[in-house]
Amino acid sequence: MRKFFPVEELARDERFNKITMRDRMGDPRTALNVSNDAPAKRPTNLRLTPDRSDASDGARSLMHGIFVGEIQALEGAGRTCWDFETGTEAPFALKLDMARQCWDEARHVEISVKLSDWMGGEIGQYAENTVLFEAACSTDPVLRLAGVNRALEGLAIDVFTTMKEFGDLAGDPYLEFCEDWMLADEVTHVKMGSDWLRKITEHDPDRRKKALEFQSVVDKLFSYGGTRSESQESPIGLARRFRELAGFTDDEVDDIAQLSMQALNERKSAVAQARADQMRDAAAQFATSAAAE
Amino acid sequence: MTVSVTPATFSYVAFDAELIRSIAAGLLAALGMADHDVTIDVDETTPLARISCTIDESIHVHVDSGAFEDTRKPRQQSETATATALGRVLLRARDRLVGGFGEAPPDKELSLAQVAAWETYCIGRLQRFGVPVNQQRWRYNFRNRHGFSDATDAAFEQIWTSDGLTWDQLNAISESAAASAHA
Amino acid sequence: MADPYKPRAPFAPWDRRTLPGIFDVEESARRVGNYKWAEMKLFEALGGWVATVPELDVKMRLGTHCYKHAWHAELWHKRLPELREMNPERLTAPANDAMVRFVEAMTEPEAPEQTIEKLVGVYRVFIPRFIAAYTYHLNGTSEITDAPTVRSLKFILQDEFDDWRDGEMILQSLIETPEEASRAAAHMQQLEAIMIEAGGIAGVGTLGAS
Repeated sequence: MRKFFPVEELARDERFNKITMRDRMGDPRTALNVSNDAPAKRPTNLRLTPDRSDASDGARSLMHGIFVGEIQALEGAGRTCWDFETGTEAPFALKLDMARQCWDEARHVEISVKLSDWMGGEIGQYAENTVLFEAACSTDPVLRLAGVNRALEGLAIDVFTTMKEFGDLAGDPYLEFCEDWMLADEVTHVKMGSDWLRKITEHDPDRRKKALEFQSVVDKLFSYGGTRSESQESPIGLARRFRELAGFTDDEVDDIAQLSMQALNERKSAVAQARADQMRDAAAQFATSAAAE
Repeated sequence: MTVSVTPATFSYVAFDAELIRSIAAGLLAALGMADHDVTIDVDETTPLARISCTIDESIHVHVDSGAFEDTRKPRQQSETATATALGRVLLRARDRLVGGFGEAPPDKELSLAQVAAWETYCIGRLQRFGVPVNQQRWRYNFRNRHGFSDATDAAFEQIWTSDGLTWDQLNAISESAAASAHA
Repeated sequence: MADPYKPRAPFAPWDRRTLPGIFDVEESARRVGNYKWAEMKLFEALGGWVATVPELDVKMRLGTHCYKHAWHAELWHKRLPELREMNPERLTAPANDAMVRFVEAMTEPEAPEQTIEKLVGVYRVFIPRFIAAYTYHLNGTSEITDAPTVRSLKFILQDEFDDWRDGEMILQSLIETPEEASRAAAHMQQLEAIMIEAGGIAGVGTLGAS
């Protein structure tokens, strides 16, 4: 078995359909309100709460996202156990933490399968974006920790908090219960990442800087299209309290909040621009055909 | 019967207007609505999955592209999703047209619980027409709107297996389920 | 109540533990170092394979078992300094070169179609060897002087039996044709041959015979 496994080769059974971030970015559609839309046409509040008219479908879709995310987190933690030589490349204790994370993520996959079933979802019902595993492909274990444990698991904290609140408001006894348990694990994983990042880069400020920059890139990627931000236009909120418990400083959470808003606004501008271009092209085409007639 | 679909060609998604038209025509025939004209307006700029309809001399369906989408393959059309989405909205239209639903509020004034009850009623019948559906999906939707209780599940079963309900009967089951769940 | 000042035997009649064991401190430490090395190699391989197997149930089992073997490695890592080895890394070593070759051969399969080979290596060869080595150690060591090792062995053996049963049941559900049975047997034979050369997890003498 080789070291460093390519994301394209992640093994799945025939129920799954993997897509990449590039595929997702190639989808010109958006649920967001952009400048050319009539205000009444689009909902302005997209936060996933039970009072959304499509709440059940939204929750089911997000649950499937959690399910495949947990698979990729499991695979990422597993690869960290394998990809780095103990001692020379990664401390023994770090690898033990990653093995522990494997078990936790395997349990989360089990929980997600059961919850999906409970919510009327099916394995492979939605496309699987493999962006999470991509964050786990760095050849530097510190960058990998920053990408996986701080960015990916940080996103998991936000997602689980949103789902836990959803379950609580809807009175769903299973959802709230399970998300609460998974949230506890994720806080532990983020803390693990924060602790190791500080420890390993204690005397290497350049490496720490690089790792934090990488985390920023991954955080922005995970906020793509405004999926996660403090705006009500984002389905997933930013869970400040649980992030603090996990070892994020106030400044770090503020930075992620800012990045997420930036991602949301960039997406809105990009869509508005694309729509304007399309209208201009359509007008030009109409003018050409009218002239020809 | 005429069925028209806009846009005729799609640029944001790889949907086939003719396929949508033929699925709608097939459903209209199966539901005994062959004497009605239908327009289907797809908003392909949003991935949301909302669907609604208005009725005058024709039935006008307004749908977000997500409702017809194959969720496994983004931007591709799913025949099953198209049939399920169209079927449930056409059945609701039929209920309003054939009588017994005169007391039902306009779509925009329906509560979330009423929508869920009516959708359950539509999807249960749609399944008996042979459209493949995941019952648990709709049970979960019904529970979300009526509470998670045995009474809710019993109400769901009653609506799911029913034919020929009136609005008053449907609404009474829904209200009773919600009341017992929150008691 | 019995008189609390009346002398009682230090060992109750049902406590049949005896003092002597067949390992001295040095030999016990050597074995524990071999165990730790082998458990490390196992948890690393299980973690690495998670991404390579398409079967969802196998993926989840490998993730779960990965941690168990990491925990075993941690228990042995903590035991080493208690056995006078203040530098645990020094004794964290394979029993011999054949054991290194065994791990290389066991971890060689990567393709998604090779789940049977992956599981055969772990559950039909490696883990049964762990069970044998640990059982021998448990039965041979002093239950009094080496009680901390005994305690760890009991916990670990429970895991090994559970994991072996999980893995064997998954294998039985995956092997559906005579051809697949032959594949499993051929791979097992290939790995067993190297393991025989290695002599077991702790090398020649793992089970006492020299």
